[in-house]
Formats: sequence, C-alpha cells, structure tokens
Amino acid sequence: MDSKIKTTMKKFLLLAALALGMQPAYSFCGFYVAKADAKLFNTTTQVIVTRSGQHSTITMSSDFKGDVKDFAMVVPVPKVLQRDDIRVVERVLFDKLDAYSGPRLVEYWDQNPCYTAQMEVKSMSTPRSAMSLSKGESVNADEETETVRIEAKYTVGEYDILILSAEESGGLERWLIRNGYKIPEGARQVLEPYIKSNMKFFVVKVNLEELDKSGMQLLRPLQVSFDSPKFMLPIRLGMANSHGTQDMIVYLLTPNGRVETVNYRTVKIPTDRNIPEFIQDDFGDFYVDVYKMAMKREGKNNIFLEYAWNISGNTGVKCDPCTGNPPILADLQEAGVNWLTNNGWNSYNGNAFFTRLHVSYDREHFPQDLVFQETPNRENFQGRYIITHPATGSLKCSEAKSYLRDLKQRRTLELQELAWLTGRDVSKYDNYLNKVQGYLQEDEIIPEQLPDKPTQIHQVTKPAMAAVTDTVSIGQPVVTTGINKDSGAIDQSQFIEEGSDPAVMEANAGNSYLYLAASILLSTVLVLYRNRKKA
Amino acid sequence: MTTVSLPSIPLKQTAPEPMFHTVRRIAGRIVSDARFYQILFLSVFLMYGIAVLGWDVDAWKFALTVGTCFITQLVFTAATSKDYYSLLSASISSLSLCLMLKTGVAGVVALAAFLSIAEKFVFRVGGKHFFNPTNFGICLTILLTGQAWISPGQWGNNGFLLLLIGSLGLFVLIKVKRFDTAAAFLISYVGLLSIRHIFYQGWPPDFLLHQLQSGTLLLFTFFMITDPVSTPSHPWARIGWAAAVGALAFVLQSYYFVNGSPLWALFMLSPFTLLLDRLFKHSNFKWTQK
Repeated sequence: MDSKIKTTMKKFLLLAALALGMQPAYSFCGFYVAKADAKLFNTTTQVIVTRSGQHSTITMSSDFKGDVKDFAMVVPVPKVLQRDDIRVVERVLFDKLDAYSGPRLVEYWDQNPCYTAQMEVKSMSTPRSAMSLSKGESVNADEETETVRIEAKYTVGEYDILILSAEESGGLERWLIRNGYKIPEGARQVLEPYIKSNMKFFVVKVNLEELDKSGMQLLRPLQVSFDSPKFMLPIRLGMANSHGTQDMIVYLLTPNGRVETVNYRTVKIPTDRNIPEFIQDDFGDFYVDVYKMAMKREGKNNIFLEYAWNISGNTGVKCDPCTGNPPILADLQEAGVNWLTNNGWNSYNGNAFFTRLHVSYDREHFPQDLVFQETPNRENFQGRYIITHPATGSLKCSEAKSYLRDLKQRRTLELQELAWLTGRDVSKYDNYLNKVQGYLQEDEIIPEQLPDKPTQIHQVTKPAMAAVTDTVSIGQPVVTTGINKDSGAIDQSQFIEEGSDPAVMEANAGNSYLYLAASILLSTVLVLYRNRKKA
Repeated sequence: MTTVSLPSIPLKQTAPEPMFHTVRRIAGRIVSDARFYQILFLSVFLMYGIAVLGWDVDAWKFALTVGTCFITQLVFTAATSKDYYSLLSASISSLSLCLMLKTGVAGVVALAAFLSIAEKFVFRVGGKHFFNPTNFGICLTILLTGQAWISPGQWGNNGFLLLLIGSLGLFVLIKVKRFDTAAAFLISYVGLLSIRHIFYQGWPPDFLLHQLQSGTLLLFTFFMITDPVSTPSHPWARIGWAAAVGALAFVLQSYYFVNGSPLWALFMLSPFTLLLDRLFKHSNFKWTQK
C-alpha cells in the first residue's frame, strides 16, 4: 500500500488512541454512596440494554475514579434478582460497542483535474463525549426504624451485592446510613417513588478480598437480567448526588428495530455534513461541540440518536464505513442477547438491531426516568462527517482554474457548515480559504506524494436501509479495511454477506397489502349490502 | 395536505357572475364548518413538526395518505350519501394520520388511510359511526401489521407548541361545543395520574407536568376524543364515557405500561358509544348547524 496512505492511517490510529486517552469517567444510573469521605464523581455513564419480549438485560459500566474501597451504589430494579441474574462482564465489551457506533469522520480525496491517477481514501476516528463532574453529599442519620428487608445477598466477582426491599424511604435511608453508606442529600425523596412502585434496591459495594485476588485495577461492569413489562432506565436516582448535568450513552440491542424514548423527544444528531479538512486534527473536540450545539438548538430535554443499524444475521453491511468491528455473536451474547443462534464462525441467524442514544440529563429537564419503546423502524442511521482533501499534483492545466474556484466555494460552504454545527467563530479560519488562493499564486503543487492506485471517485451517499452502498466494497484498497489490519483486528469484509433483509421487509409489506385488499373487499361488500337493504 | 383557501372577495362588486356565486357559496359553507379550522390547525402542526422539530419529510407517505383517504372517501360517498363536503373529514383524517402514524412501508400507509375512511361507512349505525376514524385506522393497522408505530415523544415538551395546540384546540372545541368531553377526559386521566404518582408514590409535581406537556396528549384531547360525530350524543353520556376513556388510559399506562395509552383506551371504548346512544336518546351532531 502507498506510503502516504499508511501515514494517514497511522495518524488516525494515533488520533483514535488519543481519543481513548481522553475518555471521561463513567458511572452508573443509580447513585453512588460512599463509605467514607471520599470525593465521588458521577460523570459519563455507559449502559447496554438488551430487550426481547419482557426480558431485559442491563449492563452498567463504571469508571469510578476514587478509592475502590469507597465504591458503593444503589440501583432500583423491578424484582428480587437471583444469583444467576447478576454477572460481571469485561470492560472491553463497552469499548467495542463504543468504537463500532461512535460518530465518524470520513475522508475523501478530490481527483486532480489535470491528472487521472488518483485515489480516494476513507478513514475515521471516534470522538468521545464531554464529561461533567459533581460531588456526592452526605446527610446526617436520624433515629432508626427497621422497615428494610435484605431479600438476597451475593458475592459476584469483585462485588458484594445486597437486594433490599423497603416499606418506606426513611427506613431505607436510615438503614444505608447505619450500615456505613454515605448517601446523598435528598436521597429520601428520590427513593420514595421507587419504593411505592414496588421496586427493589440493588446495593453494591466492592469486596476488597475478591478484588485483590483478581488482581484487577478497575472495577468491571455489572450486568443484571430480569423479566419486566417496564422498558426503562432509572435515571432519577442518579441525579440525587449530582446537581450538574450527567452524560449517558445507552446502547440498545433489540430484535426488531430502532429504539426511541416515549417520554422525551429522540432527535437525530446532525449527520452527513461536509466539514473543513482541518477538523481531522481534533475530531473529538469537534464532535463534543456538535453535540453541545445540537443540545442548544433542540433544547435540553431531548435525547440524541447517534447510531442505529440493522445488525441481523442476514444483513450484508453491518456498518458503512466501519469505525470498529461490528459486534460478533459472542459480544452480543455477552451483552445479554439470547435470541440469536450460531451459524458457523462469527456469523449468526436471527434479527438484531443496534441503537445508540446519547443523553445529557439534569434534574430540571428530566423529571421522569427514561421510558423506551422498540419500533419496527429498521432504517439505518449514523453520525457521519465528511472531509474532502484537495487534489494533489500539478495544477497547471486550464481545468485547474475552475477547480480551484470551485474548491474555494466549497470551503466557504464547509466553514459555514462548521459554524452552524459547532457554533464556533469561523472567522479565525480565514487562512483555510486563503490557502486556496495560495494554490493559485504558487501555480503548481509538488506531485511527490501522488498515489499510484487506480482512480476511484465516490459519491457521498446517505446510509441506505440495509443496502450495500458503493462507499465500501470488498477488495478495494480503502482505509476501512486497512485500519483494521494495522490494528490487528479482524478484516471487516468477512462480515459482508449477501444482504437478504430487504426480503424480510418485502414479506412484511406483502402482509399489509393482503390486509388492504381484504379490507377493501369486505367494506365494499358491506356498504353495497347496506345500500341495497335501504333501497 | 389539503389547503382550503378563503374566497377572494373583491372590494367593489359589479354584476357578479354566476361562477363567483358558486365559489362563494361553497367557500362560505366550508368556512362556516368547524372542520375547516381543524384542517387549518392540523396543517400548522404538521408544518411545525417538519420545520422546527425536524421530522422526516416523507413526501410519498403524505401523498399516499392524502390520496388514499380522498379516493376512499369519494368512492364511498358516491355510493352512499353523496354529501361531498365530507371530503373535509377525509382531510382531517389524512392530516391526523400524517401527524401520528409512523411507518416505512407503503402498504401500511395505504391500509391505515383506507381503514380510517372505510370505518365511517362500515361501522355506521343509525346514521352515525362509532369509531374515531384516525384512531381506528392507527390502532387496527398497528395490531394487524406490526409494521407501524406511534411516537408519543415526537413533540417534545416545547412550551410554545403545547400552548399553540391547546389554544387552537380550544377554539375548535368551542366551535363544535365539545368542551365537556375534553374536560371530562382530562379530569379523570390527570386526576388519577396525580393521585397515583404525586400523592401516593411521591414524585415531585414536575413529574406529572412533564407527562401533561405532551403534544400527543393535547392533540388527542383537542382533536381526537372530542370528535363530535363519533362520540355519544347525549351530553351526560358523553361526559361519563370520556371519563371512562381517561380512567382506562390511566390503567393501561400505569399498570400495563402501554405507550400512547389514551389512543388504545379510546379504541377499546368506542363501541360503547353505540350502547350509550341507545340508552340516552339525543339528536346526532351535524357539522353545519343552522
């Protein structure tokens, strides 16, 4: 492969690594309670929710920053969980899903108007969301009354887990305090509605012996499974020890289609935007600005859709372009998906849909827990941003003049787009336009880095519904597969099979036509019969 | 989308032509019809959804919905009453479907539109149909195909929009004299919700406020359950029935976790209109009352 492309790929790998390094701390959707005066941080939470029928599995990732012996948390759950319903999973699962579904930067190269040997390269890096910090606060204990029952007690991995049921919030609050948990001020009011809804409390602290035995430095994500008609995430409790805004990314895996919130508006993050070339240097920061600006524009009481993709066994393209490998069956099963069946090496039978939602919530704008619904909507969606590099090589020919004129115009539009997307003052980027002028004055560009691969001109296409688009195809020397090889990961092309999902849609559509025909026939007969009777 | 334009009346009128008389008569008839305002307001909501809330603009879906509704209405009207002003009702149904029903399949769009309109001619007893057309179309389509859904969160909780829906809805209610229905439904639904969530469970007041700041709920209250044609004719029967819809919506939502519960409650209780009309005699509603 050409050396320039390799350099670019490495640059992007480095960028991706940097982005990972900047990754903020994670926390749970319950609240943290401390056993000492440790500083507690409640920042970005990552949660995986899988749901099929009434069965839900929720995996919560924690990047607790304090001393692990001070770690404790309370999560409301709809029923008393059995030992087998609770697991610890490896953190790498979250990294995989995050890398796969994060917003992506796509790179295109202009064709040199004077030169035919040209190629187009795509690449991407995954930005991380902004974080916010806030402290937990303590409250003084009152007198004790016993209305709390320990329903179950388990040690799972490095965690000691209690399932509590309570009759009233005051009792639960006192019990937690008496047992050495420091709980946030205002916890009582927040606990009350959950008690009254017959919810149980999943109380977790770290078992230091087990943690020492495992030799782990970081706490692993906890996973709980249960059957419940409620398809929701309790975020209200998490707001008890955080007065600021909290950030949460929810990965949802369901059999049929896209998940949306019922009690908040689900807004798509802006996508398929042409942005200036220099954004590739700080794509992570750029996306944080895009997200913040979208929140400003749409209001703070919304949830953002960042990714939605049909990852059914028979779907050809599980991402386009891929920023990380699509989850394989083992990943999905680890996350709690139990409705897919193995179909040979790394492929599976059955339907699955991946939804990634991003929410920044605070007490003021989110008075209710998040309630979800799965819709039959299988339309794919991704946060995708496009940069286009200008042509390299000599620009001496007559066509170059109009090319450069167009380029300047395009860059003006790119800057306008940047201003709209991020709210940044783009006047400081004037040299981005002037650089085009520079080309005109210099009247030649040194052609030393010219790629020698065959020409590829691609149209920027919107991600189609489970259809194979022309932006990624097998065997092309595009970076999409190259990055994966360089990083030692699995070649993405192995996931590409013949797409048959449209056939499923067709079958469903056929169903509705059948009903339509039947209802037309039936109603016509009835109305005619009635008319005749009247006559 | 249907737009009914106001008649252009010249300031100075010299020897009006017969054609102008016809246009004026029809336009006057339309403007005096409360359905005209419903169409106007629903169109505004749809445009707001597309322009401000960024809903997907699926022109083909809108066209298919409006087209199917109109053709169905035309054919059935031609076969029955021949009252072509009923096309106004078809406009309302098609707009409501565009606002509420979500699907990606053309057959489902057509099915919902057809069911909405055909229902009025099929489930008709004593010159009155007892399902709300749009409600029937939406619910039956979801039940039959599973390829459609309603999106209660799509309106967000934007104060301005809610005020708009509320006030414009109120205007229509005053026009059709169905304020009692809306009030009975809201009092029963909101009352039960507040008893359970605020007084019993102890959620803070904004929990309930958030629930009520839903465009879907307001649209349902002001433009669906208050449909004067498909609700019981007797005022007291109507109030009791609307309260029952509110109570059922509360039960479905709080105990069975049904999303968009008012729609399902209305669908389930609509047939009782028939029974209530038998028990409590009252003259049927006419859109243009002299």
